[in-house]
Amino acid sequence: MLVITRKPGERIRVGNDVTVTVLEVSGSSVRIGIEAPADLPIYRHEVWLAVEAENQAAAGSQVSELPSPDPTSGSKKGTP
Amino acid sequence: MQIQSNRFGTIEVRDDAVLTFPAGLIGLPGERWVLVAQEPTSPFYWLHSAEHAEVAIPVTRPWLFFNGYEVRVSDDEAKSLGLKGPEDAEIFCVVRATERLEDFTINLAGPIVLNVEQRLGRQIINETGGYSVRQPLFAEVELNDVPSEATHTTVPAAVA
Repeated sequence: MLVITRKPGERIRVGNDVTVTVLEVSGSSVRIGIEAPADLPIYRHEVWLAVEAENQAAAGSQVSELPSPDPTSGSKKGTP
Repeated sequence: MQIQSNRFGTIEVRDDAVLTFPAGLIGLPGERWVLVAQEPTSPFYWLHSAEHAEVAIPVTRPWLFFNGYEVRVSDDEAKSLGLKGPEDAEIFCVVRATERLEDFTINLAGPIVLNVEQRLGRQIINETGGYSVRQPLFAEVELNDVPSEATHTTVPAAVA
């Protein structure tokens, strides 16, 4: 892990392809700009965690069969 | 080719049905996936790993359940998928399947975008904000109201 101090306008280079720029510091918020190749996914960490959690929960499903509409039923309820 | 599945045993898969996710699926192993249809009238598919027999996630096409759903794909993501326009893409969302239908949820915030022609896929963060990763699936449409003819996808799917 690396911890460094940067001022607005200063940059960090990660590998050959990624540049992170500190754009603005305002109170407790920092605006940063990231330049990276289009095929490199970049996410807000909490969003990444939420999607990861859903994917893993979906993969952990114990359901043996996914439900289908019941064509014989005109009702509003299906059965799994 | 054949893929191994803890769920379904050995599945026969057309070579052109294998989807490549160069960036993988968030939090899951492997890059190659296959859509598997368990039941032709079901709106759900399994997106099954072609590399890991134990990994499969239920997916569906969100518009079957949410008519007004919007997906905005960033230019970079569209480029990485080789998409020239919306007509090249097919969208699926990950479903959390449970024993009770009313507990099913869908991730509308992190849809899976496929380039059908090139068999490329990527899970993106929907640039149209405000969607939940855990939206109750049957909030607007009941299972029996999903027309079976609407469940077909242009992506080749294997049969379990």
